Amino acid sequence: MIKLNGYEMKKIIRVKNLEYIYPDGTSALKGIDLDILKGESIGLIGPNGAGKSTLLLHLNGILGEGCGLIEILGMKVEEKNLIKIRQKVAIVFQEPDNQLFMPTVFDDVAFGPINTGYSEEKVRKKVKEALKEVGMAGYEKRCSHHLSLGEKKRISLATVLSMQPEILILDEPTSNLDPRVRRHLIELLNNLNLTKIVAGHDLELILEICQRVILLDEGKIVAKGETREVLSNKSLMEYHGLEVPLSLRHR
Amino acid sequence: MHLPEIDKFAHLKSPLHSWDARVKIVSISTLILSIVLLEDIRVAFLGLVLAIILVFLSKIPFSFVLVHLRWVLFFVLALFVVISLTVPGNLLIKLSFFSISREGVRLSLLISLRAISAALLVFPMLGTTRFYLTLKALQKIKIPAPLIQLLMFTYRYIFLFLDEEKRVFIGANSRGWVRKTNLSSLKTIGSLVGMLLVHSFERTERIRDAMVSRGYNGRVKTLDEFTLSAKDFIKASLIIAIALLLNLFRWIR
Repeated sequence: MIKLNGYEMKKIIRVKNLEYIYPDGTSALKGIDLDILKGESIGLIGPNGAGKSTLLLHLNGILGEGCGLIEILGMKVEEKNLIKIRQKVAIVFQEPDNQLFMPTVFDDVAFGPINTGYSEEKVRKKVKEALKEVGMAGYEKRCSHHLSLGEKKRISLATVLSMQPEILILDEPTSNLDPRVRRHLIELLNNLNLTKIVAGHDLELILEICQRVILLDEGKIVAKGETREVLSNKSLMEYHGLEVPLSLRHR
Repeated sequence: MHLPEIDKFAHLKSPLHSWDARVKIVSISTLILSIVLLEDIRVAFLGLVLAIILVFLSKIPFSFVLVHLRWVLFFVLALFVVISLTVPGNLLIKLSFFSISREGVRLSLLISLRAISAALLVFPMLGTTRFYLTLKALQKIKIPAPLIQLLMFTYRYIFLFLDEEKRVFIGANSRGWVRKTNLSSLKTIGSLVGMLLVHSFERTERIRDAMVSRGYNGRVKTLDEFTLSAKDFIKASLIIAIALLLNLFRWIR
């Protein structure tokens, strides 16, 4: 438990000295230490190749065990806990066509709940609720490849919400979206009462959604703190290949 | 991107559309097997008539069937010519150094009738059910899971692959490349196709990540969407009885 703004908050993710080297020898993560509290929204920023996506994949146990410790809701990320962890930690990938791999929207949204072992009745209920939550009720029988990008993004979100996760990880959630669809998505995310980790270069989005940011570069955490404070630090941002968001300039 | 889809007419209403996909696949597959085993031209012709009747009952437009059948017909025609000219037997026609035997014509006609009937029957079998339901039906009738997953992902990603292919070639055209039949053009096509394959491989890794993150453990599980009725069994009995009757003569002889 940690005290924040007078409230006692529970640590939901704990990463200690995480290192990861890809099979081709690329060192992607170097000694990452990170604590995330329940209900927090965290922005993960950094230049291309900083290790953001690699870190996100570790939180769901996709990349296997690296060196170091990762704990999700008190469970160590290791083979025996993966089923439970994957139920609790949901990842929405950048490219919705990678997330929507089943022939119909229903099958895609039901994929997670079925693998979790829910009963048929519960699966159908969860699919219905998740689609309603993202404003896509009635799309069950549609084929994913016939949807617009905005619709695909919403369905992608529904595919993980149907698993009732406690932690929602979003990798570049607004990439390629037009302003209206982007605004809808931001409102949708703001209304979700979950612990959120948002990785990406849309710093205005991170400013709107996240209370805290973590700046990664070359596999290391180079800065962390309150969102506005970190994002308005011009020299820090420029040194790490980023820019101060437009809304924070000239202040 | 618009592509012709095998289940384009799956929304229609017909006795074949309302037939349970699992029973339909088993029954029509039996009929196809029965037809390809036929040895009598007259019975094979009857098989072709049956196939046409089933296509008619399915309400799938014949124009759609013929468009999709053109490649089959092309191969059948090629086979017809080759077999007619190469099978020895009683001379039927002699043109210059070509000689066509009676047995050759008989065999090529038989193979053509079997092939066209089998290809025609695929339309009432697969074209009257949404493709995803066909996949589920195949899963239910215990077709190996890797084969079904292969079909499923091919169907899901073929559109993306073709989009990507279009983009890659537009990129090349925008830089002045024109498709020709010379060596340089073929080299460029080779590089572009290679790049497409690399992109596809990278995509498969990302899809795998997305699947694993939602609990995939090697088997794609879906909910059952089938209900069997007496009508399904009546239709199945009829088709399987026809399939057996077609071969009855052969067995009696």
